[in-house]
Amino acid sequence: MEFLIDLFDNFWVSLAGKLLLVATMIPLIGMVIGFAEMKLSAKMQARVGPYFAGGRWGWAQLIADGVKFFQKEDIVPDAADKPVFKSAPILVLVGTVALFVVIPFGPGLIFRDLSVGIFYALAISSLSTIGILMAGWSSANKYSLIGGLRAAGQLIAYELPLVLAVVGSVIMAGTMSMSGIVEAQINAGFPYVIVQFVGFAIFMVAALAELTRIPFDMPIAESELVMGYLTEYSGFRFLFFFLAEFANMFSMSAIAATLFLGGYWLPGIPEDLLSFVGPFILIGKVFLLAFLMIWFRWTFPRFREDQLQGIAWKWLIPLALANIAVTAILKVVL
Amino acid sequence: MVAGSVGGEADIHFDTVKVSVSPDSWVDVHTKARDDLDLVFFSWLSAIHWSNDVQAGDSLNEEVDERFEVLTTVGDLTEGRRVTFSTRLPIDSPSIASLVGVYTGADWHERETYEMFGIVFEGHPNLVHLYLPESFIGNPLRKSYPLLSREVKPWPGTVDVEAMPEKPEAPEEPSTENPEA
Amino acid sequence: MTIDTDAIRHLSEAQVSVELETEDMTLNIGPQHPSTHGVLRLVARVDGERAYNVQPVIGYMHRGYEKLSEVRTYPQITAIVNRIDWVSGYANEIPFIVAAEKLMGLDVPERAQYIRLILTEMARISSHLIFMASYPLELGAATPLFFALRERERVLDLLEGVTGGRFHPNFNRIGGVKPAYGSGSATRKMIQDLPAGFLSETREAMDQVLDVTDELEALVAGNEIILARTKDVGVLPPEVAAAFGVSGPNLRASGVAFDLRKAEDYLPYHLFEFDVVTGENGDCWDRWWVRLQEIRESAKIIQQAVDGIPSGDLQAKVPKVIKVPKGETYVRAENPKGEMGYYLVSDGGQGPYRLKIRSASFSNISILPWILEGALVPDIIAIMGSLDFVLGDVDR
Repeated sequence: MEFLIDLFDNFWVSLAGKLLLVATMIPLIGMVIGFAEMKLSAKMQARVGPYFAGGRWGWAQLIADGVKFFQKEDIVPDAADKPVFKSAPILVLVGTVALFVVIPFGPGLIFRDLSVGIFYALAISSLSTIGILMAGWSSANKYSLIGGLRAAGQLIAYELPLVLAVVGSVIMAGTMSMSGIVEAQINAGFPYVIVQFVGFAIFMVAALAELTRIPFDMPIAESELVMGYLTEYSGFRFLFFFLAEFANMFSMSAIAATLFLGGYWLPGIPEDLLSFVGPFILIGKVFLLAFLMIWFRWTFPRFREDQLQGIAWKWLIPLALANIAVTAILKVVL
Repeated sequence: MVAGSVGGEADIHFDTVKVSVSPDSWVDVHTKARDDLDLVFFSWLSAIHWSNDVQAGDSLNEEVDERFEVLTTVGDLTEGRRVTFSTRLPIDSPSIASLVGVYTGADWHERETYEMFGIVFEGHPNLVHLYLPESFIGNPLRKSYPLLSREVKPWPGTVDVEAMPEKPEAPEEPSTENPEA
Repeated sequence: MTIDTDAIRHLSEAQVSVELETEDMTLNIGPQHPSTHGVLRLVARVDGERAYNVQPVIGYMHRGYEKLSEVRTYPQITAIVNRIDWVSGYANEIPFIVAAEKLMGLDVPERAQYIRLILTEMARISSHLIFMASYPLELGAATPLFFALRERERVLDLLEGVTGGRFHPNFNRIGGVKPAYGSGSATRKMIQDLPAGFLSETREAMDQVLDVTDELEALVAGNEIILARTKDVGVLPPEVAAAFGVSGPNLRASGVAFDLRKAEDYLPYHLFEFDVVTGENGDCWDRWWVRLQEIRESAKIIQQAVDGIPSGDLQAKVPKVIKVPKGETYVRAENPKGEMGYYLVSDGGQGPYRLKIRSASFSNISILPWILEGALVPDIIAIMGSLDFVLGDVDR
């Protein structure tokens, strides 16, 4: 035991351990959410969904898919801007991985408790925008180009409400550290969603847009732009985008859960138990939010580009500003 | 009544009112039909190649004047009245005024007739091929245009190759089950 | 795609206040594209998201049916006209068969007419259900597809039970419908007529179809996003529609109460009560709504016809080798897509001298350059989908 603690005190060993954890966690989470999406959409559409791979329920479907993707030829269009085309999926995945750094899974169970945690998270989450824009631009495909430009316009428009929506929670907690915000909720005795419901709703809408999921999936828009910026990608590069989408769903949901739903804490659970059950509570909350996103995805059609911009600039941003003002006033008055 | 108001020869056969007019009055007739007779709905425009030299299909039973017949059908949108206008064009370099100015929808129909029969519609804004590539030579719906597949293989011809059985064989064991079961 | 470095240098030199030099892009939509219903190709000049000068390019599926008809006999032609609008194959046969019968002067037995009418309305329901399935998909909602296709399967099963074919029944014969054999067991006769239990099952299926229209209405009509995407999008005024020859549900959505089932007498529709549904604005939403209502009306017609179907022969007396007397006629029918008509010119032979096929989708999509001018790219898809065309019906 002593030996193990000593071992993990070594910076490089601990780094390797953390890397290994992330390297297994992201594909695993991506698969779980991806599989949930397949099965849930099937239920909603009176289908069976994956059925054969792995025997029962087709649980190995996504593993089989992953193996299939790796076997495929890595096609790069002739006219593509090759270095940009090749690095775009990596950049998107990097943005996703970097988000996991600041998510507190339990008291002290955090890769790095930055004092500007939420600030970092929101900044990093827009990194994938650049990746998407690169993918759209470099594909040498007009549909991809339109998709990439749509993504850029959309992500810029929704970055603002996303940031403004969390300000309410930050004001209430008085800190920008992710674990600090959870602790503030534990001390207050209630999750912030109760008073910050407006902020939560805006955050979820903006998160859907950031994730380019229906009803905001115009950058992909299969029926219009074929697959938008993804059109020319195949094989493992496509898999990167695919994994990033589901892992991003996880991290966005985790941020929402941390900021508004009390993170790893649940009222009534003794605090000394949180180190053990905390991660499970957080993952449970994340899956609840991911379920919501999947539910929307298979219920709604998509907006039009101008309607999307209208929602962001005319509704979400004023609403978020009003929310900040009210929260700040109440914080001072109460 | 229609013939009277547009000046042509009417002929009613099998519930179809066909009014033959001269090619010169083609546009006037349609303008009148649209404005005076309220036949606002443009149904279709096409042509018939009356020819004694039939390369594909059966020949005519009797000799006819070689000619193109251009047909349009227009209708109203209340009672279901419809009129088929017809005019005849010479077999050599057939051409007629375009109806696009009267019925906008004639556009594609005229392009189709142009490529299929080689009839030129004067005044058409964009008289190019509709279905076929621009490099296609020939006018497929002219009777003189042979159908290559039929040249190569005559089947299915005008009569069935096998004779129809006079009486079908009775099923060996008349099934009494419900056919849906 | 190459980056125009000159343009960029020019921009940086000219500082900020110069107007951006933008370039229009030519966007090819199709012929392989998920939302063009086959092989339609649109060439559009795109300025950002706005499209100008949209030119449809058709002919990728031109099969030359008018020429082929000239070398075929009348009974053979029913097999090819099935393939014009393949999502309602049965309905395509009717005007052709009626035209031939008209020239021959045949009286079709009443039972055969009823069967034709029931099957035509089934074809209409299945065609409209495909629209109900594909249209929300084009707007991004995948789920209604499965609800609509499930119901369509019910209808197709019934159609298959009678005709033996789901898509291309080829069930009509000149003078009636496919007859029972003259001899053979009673069961065999029954198979050749209507299958046992067909009438009661049809009644049941129609109840289910009526249920699912309610379900679809709740799923789609109650959705704010669908309303936002379709209301006031692609407005088609009735005068423009008439001039272009747009017919069927697209015309009725523009507020014109014109239905060939009421105006012509190719099938005994006058015996049944049904409404001609019209829209108000002629936008995409009205086109969706009119088709939903038409499913309901068709279900009602089928229920009435099933209740009142007479017994009797399935075929009039026709000679073994069918020759159609000399003459010309135009017979048009209200197909699911609009006015479908055949101008049949016979010279007294076994095959037509000329068969002009007037198909609905051909005229319906000739409106595209007009209606898509200045539309946004997402609206192009919404408008195209709402016109509900089939490329086989466009190219013939």
